[in-house]
Formats: sequence, structure tokens, C-alpha cells
Amino acid sequence: MTPDRHGSAVIEFPNDLEIVVTRDFDAPIALVFDVFTKPEHVRKTFAPFGEEVTVCSIDLRVGGNYHFVMVTDDGTECSFRGTYLEIEPPTRTVETWLFDGWPDAEAVESMDLQEANGVTTLTWKLAFRDQAGRAHMTKFDGIEANFDNVEDYLRSLLDPKGPVSGGPVSG
Amino acid sequence: MPITEYIGAVARASTTSDVFNAIAEAHRREILDALMAGEKTVGAIVNDLSMSQPQVSKHLRVLSEVGLVRCRAEGRRRLYRLEPVRLRPLQEWLVKYEQAWNDRLDRVDDYLQELQQQGERQ
Repeated sequence: MTPDRHGSAVIEFPNDLEIVVTRDFDAPIALVFDVFTKPEHVRKTFAPFGEEVTVCSIDLRVGGNYHFVMVTDDGTECSFRGTYLEIEPPTRTVETWLFDGWPDAEAVESMDLQEANGVTTLTWKLAFRDQAGRAHMTKFDGIEANFDNVEDYLRSLLDPKGPVSGGPVSG
Repeated sequence: MPITEYIGAVARASTTSDVFNAIAEAHRREILDALMAGEKTVGAIVNDLSMSQPQVSKHLRVLSEVGLVRCRAEGRRRLYRLEPVRLRPLQEWLVKYEQAWNDRLDRVDDYLQELQQQGERQ
């Protein structure tokens, strides 16, 4: 049984435009990479609080697009899309990041993975183009819950007979 | 049904079935507090609190299901307001204990007075 790391994401603000979140996962790097980049996995973990995911498409190649849509409990559609700029399995992806709820915000998202002693450390970065875009990003409970969901999902893949734990954070 | 599904179903039922369960979650109490000032949109509640919109929506749904908040549409906006009368069962439950703790506080008072009088005699 791997340790419970819920809520352990470290959130940092290295400058005015960037947000960096660091999070450990008790899983091999290749599996963590797949869980963040393959639609069949992302579909199960992306929605932070168990929202319905209605679109989850990923064309994992440089120049390829991704598009995720989830519907929150009051019926609001949240659409995230972008284009891959760099892909280096199993350590790194860089992609543009657009959220339709913040039409004036443009950002570049990057994911870097490193494995040591069976623990894979994710460094997730969102770099906004300007202050106006960055100003939207005031809440981090969603990204934390997303990573907690990934942890539970990884555990279910690695130890399918293990005790029931987590799942999407429930009300 | 498999035990895992059963546990899930019970967990879901218990969070939404009554007012006591609904307010057991700290974030949901924060949302109720935020609505004390009056009717608000989801966006306004999100601005007031440290939760994101999906999380606020999730909790509002639970609060609506037990009738603690009500929602009305105004054009494209959805406005949520508190239904404080739904907290009545809680107050009725608590009031039974009020007498008990008042009695205990009275006894503590008596005891402190006794101690003081003993101190004065010595």
C-alpha cells in the first residue's frame, strides 16, 4: 500500500506570470506519463470533483491538439484546449493552454517528470502570457484535486485488489 | 451489488440526505456564511471564498438537495439564496442541550464561589 499523499501538492509562484506545482506519485515514470497523456486515463482523472467529462481528445504529437470539456454541477461547461509544442516521453510535454472561461488568458503549460526510488515527481507549470491572464488564476483546489485523483487512479492501476480509497473527491 | 459500489452509494446518500450531513462539510458551511449577506451568483461566491467554481457548484448542489439554498434564474444568471428555515431541525436538536450546558455552567459557578469563600476563611 502506497502512502496517502492527498493535499501534498506544493504550489509556488516563481514570478508574476508563472505558477509551479510539484507533486509526488508512487508509480513508475512511464505510467505517470501515460496517465497524464492518454485520453482513456485523463477522462477518469481530469475532472477535479467528479464532474462529467464530455470531451477528452488528445493528439499526442508536436502540433497535435488536445481538448477536454467537463460540466460542473450547475451545468456550466468548462472547455480546455491547446496544441502540443514539445513531447518527450516519459519526461516532458509542453503545450499551449486555453480555457474558454477566461477568453483573454493565454498560457503555456508544461509537465516535467522525474523518477527516483520508485517515486515520480511531477513539476507542472502554467506560464501566462500577461498579467491579465495570470490574474484569473486565484484558486488551486481544482489542480490539487486533479492530482489527488491521479494518485488514487494510479493506485487502482497498480494494486487493483487494494482497499477502496478516494476516487474523485466526493461532496 | 459489489461492496465497492455499495460503499459508494451509501457515501453519496449520507452526504445529501439531510441538513445535518450537508453542513458537516466545512466548505458547505462557508458557502452558507457567504450567502448570509444575500442572494449571490456562483461567480460571486467563488470570489468570496477559496474554492474554485467546480467545487462551489458541487457543494451548492448538495445544499440545494437538502433545501438549504434555493436557486432562481435571472436571464442567464443563476442566483442562489439561503433558506435559513431549513436549519430548524438543527436548532431543535441543539436546544435540548442548551439547558444541560447552562445547568453545568451554573454548577461551575457555584463551585468557584465555594472555593472563593473557603479561601477567604483561611
